[in-house]
Amino acid sequence: MTELGTDFDLQETLADRRIVGLWRLMRGFRLIFLVATLSIGGAALARAGTYLLLGFYVDQVLVAEDAGRLLPWVALAFLALALAQGGATFLSGRLAAKTAEGIAKRTREYLFDHLQRLHFRYHDKARTGELVQRSTSDVDAIRRFFSDQALGASRIVLLLVVNLAVLINLNLRLALLSVVVVPITVAMSFFLFRRISEAYEAYQEQEATLSNRLQENLSGVRVVKAFARQEYERSKFDVENWEKFTRGRRVLRLHSVYWPLSDILSSFQLLFGLTIGALMAMDGTITIGAYITYAGMIFWIIWPIRNLGRLVVQMSAGLVSYGRVAEIIREQEEPLRLGEYEPTGPPAGEVTFEGVEFEYEAGSPVLRQIDLHVRPGQVIALLGPTGSGKSSLVNLLPRFYEYTGGSLKLDGVELNTYPRSYLRRHIGIVEQEPFLFSRTIRENIAYGAKHEVSQEQIEAAARAAAIHDVILTFSDGYDTLVGERGVTLSGGQKQRIAIARTLLADPQILILDDSTSSVDPETEVLIREALERLMQNRTSFVIAHRIQSLMGADLILVLDRGRVVQRGTHEELLEEGGLYLQIHDAQTRIEVELGKEIAGV
Amino acid sequence: MSDFGFEEEEFTTDFSGQTLWRILGLARPHWRWVLGFLFTIAVVSAVDSILTFITAKIIDDAILANDREALIRWVTLYAGLIFVSAAGVFGFIYLAGILGERIRYDMRRSLFNHLQELSLSYFDRTPVGWIISRVTSDTDRVAELVTWGLLDVTWGILNILTAMIFMVIINWRLALIVFAFLPVIVISAVKFHKRILTEFRLVRKINSKITGAFNESVTGVRVTKALGREEENLREFGGLTSDMFKAGYRAAWLSALFLPVVQLVSSFAIGAVVWFGGLEVLTGAMTIGGIQAFVSYILFMLWPIQEMARVYAEMQRALASGERVFSLMDSVPEISDKPDAFDPGSILGDIKFDHVDFHYKADSPILRDFSLSVERGETIALVGPTGGGKSTIVNLLARFYEPTGGVITIGGEDYTHFSLQAIHSRLGMVLQTPHLFSGTIRDNIRYGYLEADQSEVEQAAKIAGAHDFVVAMEEGYESEVGEGGVLLSVGQKQLISLARAVLADPEIFIMDEATSSVDTLTESLIQRGIEAMMTDRTSFIIAHRLSTIKRADRILVIREGQIAEMGSHLELLRLRGHYYRLYTQQFRRQLEKQYGVFGAPKPTPA
Repeated sequence: MTELGTDFDLQETLADRRIVGLWRLMRGFRLIFLVATLSIGGAALARAGTYLLLGFYVDQVLVAEDAGRLLPWVALAFLALALAQGGATFLSGRLAAKTAEGIAKRTREYLFDHLQRLHFRYHDKARTGELVQRSTSDVDAIRRFFSDQALGASRIVLLLVVNLAVLINLNLRLALLSVVVVPITVAMSFFLFRRISEAYEAYQEQEATLSNRLQENLSGVRVVKAFARQEYERSKFDVENWEKFTRGRRVLRLHSVYWPLSDILSSFQLLFGLTIGALMAMDGTITIGAYITYAGMIFWIIWPIRNLGRLVVQMSAGLVSYGRVAEIIREQEEPLRLGEYEPTGPPAGEVTFEGVEFEYEAGSPVLRQIDLHVRPGQVIALLGPTGSGKSSLVNLLPRFYEYTGGSLKLDGVELNTYPRSYLRRHIGIVEQEPFLFSRTIRENIAYGAKHEVSQEQIEAAARAAAIHDVILTFSDGYDTLVGERGVTLSGGQKQRIAIARTLLADPQILILDDSTSSVDPETEVLIREALERLMQNRTSFVIAHRIQSLMGADLILVLDRGRVVQRGTHEELLEEGGLYLQIHDAQTRIEVELGKEIAGV
Repeated sequence: MSDFGFEEEEFTTDFSGQTLWRILGLARPHWRWVLGFLFTIAVVSAVDSILTFITAKIIDDAILANDREALIRWVTLYAGLIFVSAAGVFGFIYLAGILGERIRYDMRRSLFNHLQELSLSYFDRTPVGWIISRVTSDTDRVAELVTWGLLDVTWGILNILTAMIFMVIINWRLALIVFAFLPVIVISAVKFHKRILTEFRLVRKINSKITGAFNESVTGVRVTKALGREEENLREFGGLTSDMFKAGYRAAWLSALFLPVVQLVSSFAIGAVVWFGGLEVLTGAMTIGGIQAFVSYILFMLWPIQEMARVYAEMQRALASGERVFSLMDSVPEISDKPDAFDPGSILGDIKFDHVDFHYKADSPILRDFSLSVERGETIALVGPTGGGKSTIVNLLARFYEPTGGVITIGGEDYTHFSLQAIHSRLGMVLQTPHLFSGTIRDNIRYGYLEADQSEVEQAAKIAGAHDFVVAMEEGYESEVGEGGVLLSVGQKQLISLARAVLADPEIFIMDEATSSVDTLTESLIQRGIEAMMTDRTSFIIAHRLSTIKRADRILVIREGQIAEMGSHLELLRLRGHYYRLYTQQFRRQLEKQYGVFGAPKPTPA
C-alpha cells in the first residue's frame, strides 16, 4: 500500500490550529516547497539583476570607449538573466505543483479509504452529498492553497523584500520614500477584500438558491404543467434571478471602488518616487543609470502588493476547507483486521447468543437479554413488528455494530475476538432493496468474489438466482451498465443480482431480508426459489415478513421491543399462542376474508 | 452537489463563427454598456502607454537636460493622467461587470422561460443535471466571453498597438527589429495555451470520475463493508488518483512553463534593443530615455499577450458552452398549440381514445390500437403491472404527450384542436410521488388556484383531509415544507397535493395512487379525499388500493399496451384472470397492514 501513499496516517497530522494541521500535512513535501519558495526569491533577484544591468549599461557601457565591442556581451547578459529568471520561476511553479498535487493525492486516497472504514454509526448520520463535497471541492481548495495562494503570497512578499533590499543599497532615503504607501495599500486591500469576499459569498449563495429553484421546477415539471402554472413559475424564478443580478452588482461596486482607488494610491507613490529620484539624479546624488534601475524596480514593489489582500482572504477560505476535511479525518475507523482469533478455514456456522444486549445510544436498549443457540446449517426466522430489533440482531453478526452486553459466540469463540474482515468474508447479506454499483452487471455479480471468477461461474450464479434470462434480454448482456448510464433495474431484478453476488461470494452464514413487497406474483415465486437455493447448507438468518415464508425454518424467533417473546417451530408456536398466533390468525383471517370475497362473486 | 453521471462534454474543435456571432449578439440590447467599456478600456491602455512615454521624457528632457521646469511639466501631466486612468479603470470594471451580470440574467431568464414551454418528452430524455449545467455554468462561460474576454482582447490589442506607435515615434528602426519578434511571441503564447487547456480538460474529466467514485463509495458503503471490498476499492481508486496526479501535475507545470518561455522569447527582443539601441545612442540617433521606454514597452507587452492567449484558448470552451446553451434555446416543444387552437370554455364531456398508438421510440410501441370511451363523470381505475402503459394513458389524456396514431376526443372534438392552456387549467392531477415546492403549506395548496384566499385554502384542505394535521403544526398553514417537501411525511405530502387539486376544482381528475405505505389514519383520510374528488367529474385513477379500485365505475387491466380485461370489480373477479391474481395479492398485502400484523409500517422516504 506504500505506493498508494496511504502509509501515512493523516490522523497524526491533526492539530488544534488549522494552520499547524496544514503544516503537518506537508510532511515529506516541506523541502520541495521550501526550494519552490527560494526559487521565487531567486527569480526576484534575477529580475532585480536585469534592472541593475540596465543601470550599469547606461552608466558604464554606453559611455565606454569600446562600447561597440561591449554591447553584444551586455545583450547576452540580459539573455542570461532572463534565462535565470525564467528557470527559477518555472522551477518554483513545478515544485509547488508537485507539492500541491502530491498532498491532494494523498488526502484523496486517505479520505476514500477512511470513509469506507468508518463505523456504521458514522454513516448512519452522515450525508452523502456533504461527504462527497468535502472529499472533492475542499481537497481541491487545499491543493490551491499550496499551489497558488501560499506561493503567490510568498511571491509578493519576496518581491517586496528583494527589491527593497536592492533599493536600500542604491539609496536608503529614496528606498524608504518609495514605500510609504505600502502599509496603506496592504491595509486597504485586506479591509476591502474581506468585504468583497463576503459579498461574493452572498452572490454564490444566491447562485445556489437559483439552481435549487431551477432544480425544483424541473423535478416538478409535471405539476407545473398539470396546473398550467408556467407564468407563476417564471415570475418566481425571475425574482431570484434578479436578486442574483443585484448581488453581483454589489460585488462589482466593491471591485470598482478598490481597484481605481489603489491605482491612484500606487500611481502617486510611483510618481512621487520617480520625481524624488529625478531630482536626486539632477543634483547628482544618484547616477542616471541608478535612476533607470530604480524606475524599473519600483514597479515590482508597488503593483503586486495590491493583490496581497486577495490572496490572504483566499487562503483563509483554504483554511476553512481544511477544517472541514479535518473533521472527517478526526473520526475513528473500525479496525478491520484487528482480532486475536482468525481460523484459516470458514467457520462451521454455530452461533450462540447469551444474554446479548445492544443499544445505539446509552440508555435506550434495542436488544435485551437475547439467548439463542444456532447449529450449523440451521435456518432461523425472525419475526416481529418494525423496530422490534430484527435488523439490529443480525447486524451484530458481521460486527457492523458491537453488542454492548452479554456474550455472542461463533463456533464457541467470542465474536469480538474475530477480525471483522474474517466475519464479513464468511457472512453474506441480501438486502430488501440492495445497492448496485454503476458498473456492468458482470462486475456487480463478481463484486464480492475473493478470487478471479470465470464467465461460467458468473452465469451459473445468475442462473441460480433466476436472473440469467433477464440479463440476456439486455442488448449488452452481462456487459450492460447498471444505473443512470445503463439499464434501470426493478427492485426484484436488483434483488436477484444481489443473490447471485452472494452466491459467488459463497459465505457460510447468510442474512436475508425476505421481502418481496414490491414485485408482482410471478417474480415473487422466482425470488423465493432463488433464495431457497441460496440457503442450502448455510446457517441462515431470515428476516421474515409473512408466516408462509417461515414455516420451513428450524427455529422461529418472535421479537417485540428488543426481546425474544416467543421461540420454537411453527407448530410449537401455534400451540403456544401469543403474538405468533395473533399474527398467524390475522393472516389466516385475511385468507378467509379473501375466500369469502371471492366466493361471493 | 455535482450531478454525478454528467460528464464534461467533448468540445467541437472547429471554430464556429456563427456561434461566436450569436454570442456577441447577446450584448446587443445593452450596446451602450459595451461601447462604454470598450471606450474606457481604450482610454486606460492609451494612458498606460503615455505614462511609459512620460517616464522616458523625464529621463531625457528633465534629468539629462537638467531642466526642473520640464520635470514639473511632465510630472503634472503624469499626475493628471493618473486620474484619467483611474476613472477609466472604474468605468471598465463596472461596465463590463454589470454587462456580464445582465447577460447572465438575460440568458437564464430566457432559458428558464423556454424550459417552461418544452414538452414532457424533453424532460424524460434529458437529465436534470444536464439542464442545470446549461443554465448555470454554461451561461457563466458565455457571459465571461462577451465581457472579460472581449475586454481582455480589446485591452491587449490596444496596448500592443499604442506601444508599437510609441516605439515607432521613439525610433522606427529599432521598433522594426522589435516587431520582428512579436509574431514569435504571440504564436508561441497561443500554441502553449492551447496545449495547457487540453491538459486541464483531462484533469476535469478525471476529476468528475473521482467525484463519481466518492459518491458511489459513500452510497454503497454498506455493501463494501459487507463484502469486505475495502482494499480492492482503494486499489481501484488509487489508479484514479494516480492518473489525477499525473494529469494535474503535468497541467500545472506546463502552465508554470508558459510565462518563462514567453519571457525568454521577449528577452531576445530586449537583448536586441540593448545592442542595436546602444549603437544608436552612440551615434546620437536615440536617447537613454528611449532605451528605457523600449525595455518597458517590451516587458509590459507580455501581459496583454498572455491574457490574449488565455482568452483565445478559452474561447473554444466558451463557444462549446454557447453551442449547448443555444441548442437548449432552440429546441422546439414537441407539443404546442396549433395555429387555430381555441379554448372551448369547458372540457367536460365524453372522452374517447380512438385507435390510439403511442411510442417514445419508434421501434418499441407502448400503446397499440388502444380504444376506450369514457362517459362524462365516470370513474376509471387503471390497474396492471409496471410498464404496462397505465401512466402513458393518463399522460396522453393530460396531453403531456400526443398520440402517435389515432385521435383522442373530448366532447367529440379532437383535443389537439384545443389550446394546451384550456386543457391544463381544467385538469387536476395528483402524482404518485407528490411533488411539493419549497415554501409554506399555504403556498403549496394555493398552487392549485393562485387567487384563493385563506378560507378557500382551508376549505380545500378540509375536503382533502389535510386540515387537521396542518392546524396541529406549530405554524399551521405557514409551516415551511422544505425543499421538495422533505419536512413532511409521504402521507402528509399526498394530502397537501390532494388539497391542491381540490382547490383547482378541475373538470378532469387524474390520480396516480402512491404505492408507498402510510399509516392507517392518513390512509383513510386520503381515501375520503379521493372520494370527494371523484364525484361530479371524470376521473382516471391508477389504483393500488382496494377501496379505490372497488369504487370505480370501471376497472381496466392494462398489460402490454392493451386492455387485457375490463369491467366492474365483480365481473373481473369472475374471470379469474389477471385481475383476480392482482386483487388477491393486493388484498393480502393490504389487510396485513390493516391488521397491523407487523406493527406500524416502515416510513418510506420519498
